[in-house]
Amino acid sequence: MSLESHQPVSNASAVQEPQARAALAPVWLIVLMFMLLYCGAVYFDQNGGWFDSRIYAPYQTYTELESFQPKGGGPDLARGKAVFDTICALCHGANGEGKPGQAPPLAGSEWAQGSPDRMIRIPLYGLSGAVSVKGQQFNLAMPAMGAALSPDDLASVLVYIRTSWGNKGSVVTPEQVSAIKAKVGNHPQPFTVDELNAIQ
Amino acid sequence: MSCGPLVFLAAFFAFAASWFGLVLAPQFQVGRLQQETNVVNTTELYPSARPGLARQGLEVYRAAGCAACHTEQVGQTGTVCDVVLTDAGTNHAALIETLIRSGLGRSNPGQYLSELPKPVRQGLNKEEADFLATALKSAGAKADVRIVPVGPDIARGWGKRRTVAEDYLYDDPVMLGSLRVGPDLANVGVRLPDPNWHLRHLYAPRLEVKDSPMPPYRYLFTMRRIGWQPSPDALQLPGEFAPPPGFEIVPKPEARALVAYLSSLRTDAVLFEAPMTAPSAPAAATATNTPAK
Amino acid sequence: MIEDPSSSKSPAARPDTAQVDASCRVPLFVLFGSAVSWAVMASALALIASIKFHSPDFLADCAWLTYGRVHAAAVDAQLYGFALQSGFGAALWIIARLGGNRVSQPWLIGVGGKLWNLGVLVGVIGILAGDSTGFENFEMPRYAGWILFLGYLMIGLWTALTLHRRNEGRLSPPQWFFLAALFWFPWIDSTAHLLLLVFRVRGVEQSLIDWWWSDNLLLVWLSLTGLGAVFYLVPKLAGRPLHSDRLALFAFWTLILFGSWAGIPAGAPVPAWIPALSAVATVLTLIPLLAAAVNVRQTLDGHCRALAANPAFLFVGFGVAAWLAAGVMRIASALPGISPITSFTWFGVALSELHSYGFFAMILFGVIYCSVPQVAGLEWPCAGSVRAHFWLGSIGILLSALPLAVGGILQGLKLNDAGTGFVELTKGTLPFLRASTLGDLLMMIGNLLLAVNFVRLSVRFGRARLAPSCASFAADLKPAEVKP
Repeated sequence: MSLESHQPVSNASAVQEPQARAALAPVWLIVLMFMLLYCGAVYFDQNGGWFDSRIYAPYQTYTELESFQPKGGGPDLARGKAVFDTICALCHGANGEGKPGQAPPLAGSEWAQGSPDRMIRIPLYGLSGAVSVKGQQFNLAMPAMGAALSPDDLASVLVYIRTSWGNKGSVVTPEQVSAIKAKVGNHPQPFTVDELNAIQ
Repeated sequence: MSCGPLVFLAAFFAFAASWFGLVLAPQFQVGRLQQETNVVNTTELYPSARPGLARQGLEVYRAAGCAACHTEQVGQTGTVCDVVLTDAGTNHAALIETLIRSGLGRSNPGQYLSELPKPVRQGLNKEEADFLATALKSAGAKADVRIVPVGPDIARGWGKRRTVAEDYLYDDPVMLGSLRVGPDLANVGVRLPDPNWHLRHLYAPRLEVKDSPMPPYRYLFTMRRIGWQPSPDALQLPGEFAPPPGFEIVPKPEARALVAYLSSLRTDAVLFEAPMTAPSAPAAATATNTPAK
Repeated sequence: MIEDPSSSKSPAARPDTAQVDASCRVPLFVLFGSAVSWAVMASALALIASIKFHSPDFLADCAWLTYGRVHAAAVDAQLYGFALQSGFGAALWIIARLGGNRVSQPWLIGVGGKLWNLGVLVGVIGILAGDSTGFENFEMPRYAGWILFLGYLMIGLWTALTLHRRNEGRLSPPQWFFLAALFWFPWIDSTAHLLLLVFRVRGVEQSLIDWWWSDNLLLVWLSLTGLGAVFYLVPKLAGRPLHSDRLALFAFWTLILFGSWAGIPAGAPVPAWIPALSAVATVLTLIPLLAAAVNVRQTLDGHCRALAANPAFLFVGFGVAAWLAAGVMRIASALPGISPITSFTWFGVALSELHSYGFFAMILFGVIYCSVPQVAGLEWPCAGSVRAHFWLGSIGILLSALPLAVGGILQGLKLNDAGTGFVELTKGTLPFLRASTLGDLLMMIGNLLLAVNFVRLSVRFGRARLAPSCASFAADLKPAEVKP
């Protein structure tokens, strides 16, 4: 069987390349396109997360994603670290090692790992007078931070201090911080060691 | 149609649109990700770069084309909440009353008060779970709401949550795969932590998984005559898979690297994009050698 | 860059069709000849890979022939060796034909083709040696990528120049498709090459670029080139004008606009907007699909039966049908309810086989069967084997793609049911894989028939050309006998 015989090309002259008519695109096709575009826009609106880089399927909105962030699992240590690095590390050192003449160490400190009720009061209201930490005597004044930090932030930073650098303190919750704030109320002077020791 | 330059420009922009949309824009979003500090319950940055041997193992994985049959991405179809009772408090009557009203039924609600912490309701949506937790708290008990990602991949034990861009930050090349002839490997380091299992499985897949269609990778091993004493690295192979007497099978460095890479594959960190309640530490330790279903 | 119609050269300067075809001879013999050998090579590699599913121990002890490498080598030999290369040839021939002018620098295009083949050879050997990049459909190692790109520049540049120097001022629809393909390939290739292999981006951005590249190569480039050939061959073989050039251009624009966004799979670990946008774009590729289908149908207007006698037309007809089927499968697998079932299964493999073999390769076989006799001035030595190739190819494709699609859906349903053991569901796909191996075998035999036919034609051509020139060399060469 000859292929050539079936091809109009073989006996066509150069100008007889296929021509095209100029019929219009059917209207139904255009209509269908716009319908699909509309449905696509609706779908994207619901599932696209509007270009937010943190929303992944199956989450659809930022609010929904945020509502699923685990809260019961304990305070946010990353947040605690951030607070520590900006506020506490200036005097206590980035690794809680303390700075002679400025602040006692937190790493391995019996205060930092001890009773949460005492520990919460120190940053909330400050601490002045002589204090013994890891067998060393310090006589400095720690300013009150209570006004500057929310209970959430304070709890986070305390948990960070109490669980980092080998510390093995218990977890502190924002509720505990709020409770102590409510209990102590207005306390214009910093706490002293004797006052703290009176608390269990 | 003689307005060629115009047509050319129009086509140029039509094409360029997808380049801007699918190459450039994601580069700003996912190509510039940094290690996250926003990981719940840990101060560690995530992800960490793979150790050197695992990095070499990734090259073995790439060269052998493992991604032709294995994916490294876990899907998730939804997220549910479990309410876990952690402390029954003192007012047991009120607590039991709350539990019954929450739909647990009247048959022996007391069972929920022992061996805490204990999940009391599972598979709730967020509002229901929060409502129940508040109700339990007002009854004097303490309850946690656990965030649990769900989906067929997670049910198969292939992962704890869906994988997100952050998980692949240090993979180069990233080999997500597109076909599951074999199981997903995104979390295989947690799922199958025993390196010797992997070595035996690479040498003779059907020794470990009956009817597995995986080809053997015997070229990653050498068979050699046993010297003064058997090598401690030699594979323990039973019956038909064993080498002839007087010989032993030892893994080449490539096999060790590949296994190190597989063991380093884990995507169980809690991320903002894929929230979940962190899997408790003992759960990972009790992971068994059996391959996931 | 496009000439005004009024400046068209006078009819006297226009070469006739035979002269145009003769100018295509060198590049087409290089491009089509090597493409055909790569098709055989690719189907042989695919067969080896396919057999490994039934007996995993088959050729397993050689690192070079392990499944992952052979599979990647088969895919790339098919893509770069056959699909792209034959596409370049088809574009060149049809551009020259429609422009009514001789090919610019046919020898340089031939050299470019040789360079391209060197690149494919180096790349495939590199993949088998373990140098694959690890990116799907972009496995060619970096060193091969440079050679390929250089080869393409030589082919693409002079093909574009051939289009520029055309005698026919108006651009017809096939030329639009080829021009866009000509220009889009270097863009996507350089983007993928530079961002994946030279200035490596980090993390999942790599996968995004790889998906974008794969989609733009497989969906956009193959469709542009294949449709260009369809819109040329269908009117040509039917002897009827194309139903509507506006509808063809409508298909062209919608294909570019929607198709180029379509590649990101639904479950991808990227922010939700990317897969969502891609799913919408994929569904919208229904528009170019329908536009092209309507156009082909109206052009033929019921004249199909008479044309079925021509094997070249059979290839084109099958190709169009496979393109539509693959397109519908692609759209279906992007729908939110279906994508969780089809993702990560053999369904995707069936879809890409149907698209790149069933559609593109079949259309290009049609172009090869039409064009080579014209440019060589010789008939195919064995006309029966053309028909045999069609039947082997089409049955092979169906036998390969259909079971994989069905098996893929079953596999997907079981994957979504965590109660089904994984090994059990993998075993469930084996009967479908067996059928597909048989299909691979048939396709390989078909490709082999084309290769044999091509070799015999080349030998005849060589004899016909060499014998007189040897004779006339002895009898002193007359200048009049040297054809351009």
